[in-house]
Amino acid sequence: MAFDQPACHTCESTLVSRLFCFSCNALQPFPREIDFFEVLGFPVSFELKSTELEERYQELSLELHPDFYGSAPEAEKLLSETASAILNTAYKTLCEPTLRASYLLHLQSAKQKLDERSLPEGFLAEMFFLQEELDELLDSGNAVELSKLRDDLQNRKTDIEADYAPLFKKHEEQPEDSGILQQLQTHLNAERYLRRLLERIPVAD
Amino acid sequence: MAYSEKVIDHYSEPRNVGSLDKSDLNVGTGLVGAPECGDVMKLQIQVDPETKQIIDAKFKTFGCGSAIASSSLATEWVKGKSIDEAMSIQNTEIVEELSLPPVKIHCSVLAEDAIKAAISDYKSRNEG
Repeated sequence: MAFDQPACHTCESTLVSRLFCFSCNALQPFPREIDFFEVLGFPVSFELKSTELEERYQELSLELHPDFYGSAPEAEKLLSETASAILNTAYKTLCEPTLRASYLLHLQSAKQKLDERSLPEGFLAEMFFLQEELDELLDSGNAVELSKLRDDLQNRKTDIEADYAPLFKKHEEQPEDSGILQQLQTHLNAERYLRRLLERIPVAD
Repeated sequence: MAYSEKVIDHYSEPRNVGSLDKSDLNVGTGLVGAPECGDVMKLQIQVDPETKQIIDAKFKTFGCGSAIASSSLATEWVKGKSIDEAMSIQNTEIVEELSLPPVKIHCSVLAEDAIKAAISDYKSRNEG
């Protein structure tokens, strides 16, 4: 995927992150519409190695930390604060697969209009049924059935999450096919319902 | 964010929670969801076949306090109304009554959708 690498505003080296130049250690003024991938210096893609992401985040958060800019000019101090804040948000979003998928879809939705509320056929009725069943299980405190339901929901959630990577890959190969993105939207919506159910089940001792 | 007193009232003492027999021809069932937050809401109406007035309404909502309050209020409002009157209930009236903040407006939309879905289910089963 195309990735424009901008240059440092002081030394003109190619920037990895839009927030900071690792060559001359200068904070970078960044545009308002910066995306989270530019913040951490990765191509806009679902494929992301979590170890690399973590490492880049640690490096940047050290360099940008407001503590190092205590005696710097006011503008630079402010820049380090806003850059640190956006770095944290970007990292939290990109390191969690569902949030990353959701964010990527949000970036794409500027180009392709999607039905944001799509769900699989019959899914809503099933979720209502499961919520009622969960009510009964929680009332009766049936630990065996509760843990069975939790495992079942967790498996379905994991299956959905496992589809993100192949679907985004397919989208990169066929960017014109909006059906793929719609499928991702449906997956993300379904995942949210499953997560809400799981949140209601107390964690086993 | 703090809930308004009316939301807390409906949330802590929801009116008309429960189910009506959905196989009854005089009952209309609406099931709607808000995938952006994972809410699901069921609202049912029972219509008097002679007067076409809504004589009973029940709901069950799995969602936030505002979604529960919106649907609780919706069941109170539709009771005693004709189908057409109930059809004209707007989400903005629910927003106003419950003093819902902008981020919770979609909860009132969900309640309006649920009323309309219940009525359209009732109508579709009583056609001809």
